[in-house]
Amino acid sequence: MNEEAVKALATHEQELRRGTVVFASLVACRRPQYGYSLLTTLTEAGIATEANTLYPLLRRLEKQGLLTSVWNTEQARPRKYYTLTDSGAEVAAALHSHWLELDSSITKLWKDGTP
Amino acid sequence: MSALTEIYVNNVTRHLPEESRPDIAAEITATIDDMVYARLGEDADSSPDHTATVEREVLEELGDPVALSREYSNSPQHFIGPKSYPLFLWSLRWILPAVGLLAILTNVVVTLATSPDVQIGELIGKTVGSTVTALLTAFAVITIIIGLGDRSSDGGAAETMRKRKSGTWTIDDLDRRDSHSRQIRAEAGLGLVFIVALAAIPFIPTTLLYVGHLNNGETFINPDLGVGWLVGYWAFLALMAAVEIIKFTTASAKPAVALIGGIVDVAMAVFLTIALLTQPVLHLELTNTANADIQQIITVIAIWTIVIWDQVSTWRIYRRNRR
Repeated sequence: MNEEAVKALATHEQELRRGTVVFASLVACRRPQYGYSLLTTLTEAGIATEANTLYPLLRRLEKQGLLTSVWNTEQARPRKYYTLTDSGAEVAAALHSHWLELDSSITKLWKDGTP
Repeated sequence: MSALTEIYVNNVTRHLPEESRPDIAAEITATIDDMVYARLGEDADSSPDHTATVEREVLEELGDPVALSREYSNSPQHFIGPKSYPLFLWSLRWILPAVGLLAILTNVVVTLATSPDVQIGELIGKTVGSTVTALLTAFAVITIIIGLGDRSSDGGAAETMRKRKSGTWTIDDLDRRDSHSRQIRAEAGLGLVFIVALAAIPFIPTTLLYVGHLNNGETFINPDLGVGWLVGYWAFLALMAAVEIIKFTTASAKPAVALIGGIVDVAMAVFLTIALLTQPVLHLELTNTANADIQQIITVIAIWTIVIWDQVSTWRIYRRNRR
């Protein structure tokens, strides 16, 4: 792969990852997650995420009403836990359906185009 | 929380809205603590120096606090966004040349009228200096006005999308005003404004441009100029206005209309050239210097420059719209 192709790939991967991280965060927040636990969950699941984009993203999703948050001060360190709201669960389910459809479409396209 | 983390968190939150700062500060602090303790947990060494090193690594991983702050802030990170950018380019393309030409013409006329023995270097120097200032001022004004307009509409398209209820869009909501028609209307509107300004020239006193001392505040035009010339001038302007009104109302630049517009422009230029070269059109007090002839010639050159530029622009737009 030449240098230009590598640059183009990096740009497209970033675009792809941006949407994926939103979807993955919603899926992961079906169970209560605080910032660092979500980061670890996503990383362990193979979805590389940068901390400095994940935390602001959580707040944006909360503003959109897809997540709800609560501070837990009972532990040694206070943590803000994010959980999926009802509408967040609907959005996550819809995204999941789209994801499966896309996966099936891309697989079919890939097979059709393979000599 | 260590002093370093505190400084970092302050750097992130100081550009954010006041009401959201405490919550975001607490969240980032908790996150940093989590990250630091998670890394320390994997390490046997828990000395203060080692903790400080790990903390530094974590903060560096979170990156530039200004960039993190930008991520938290939902405000647009641009002054002129994609929605307003075409208008910005259009304004620059039309207004800057007009301002430049006007500035050159005004400076040349005023310098020739006020200095009895003008040196070409002085004329060029004064004109270039004033024209550059006028262009920069116009650029700044256009940028600020469009930038503020863009901000007040909050990114325009994005906000419109948010305001529109999802799933309720029908074909009736389609914005049928294509950008081509809007541009023609805007250009025709601007053309009408110029025509009105041109029509008012015979009445404008020299005091309006701070050169009233040259002819005791009378007009720029020779008061002894025959009425027929003025009537002819206004008649040509009326024809030009009629063409612009047709463009504005039909929102289209049909070849026939563009052709008539071009013919009227050229005829007007010929009329003005004859008027300027056969008699003193400008007020005699403004042209009684040794450079009066040069003034007339420069005015004629400026008129033809504007006309040719206008014809070329019209032809380019017509050619682009045919594609």
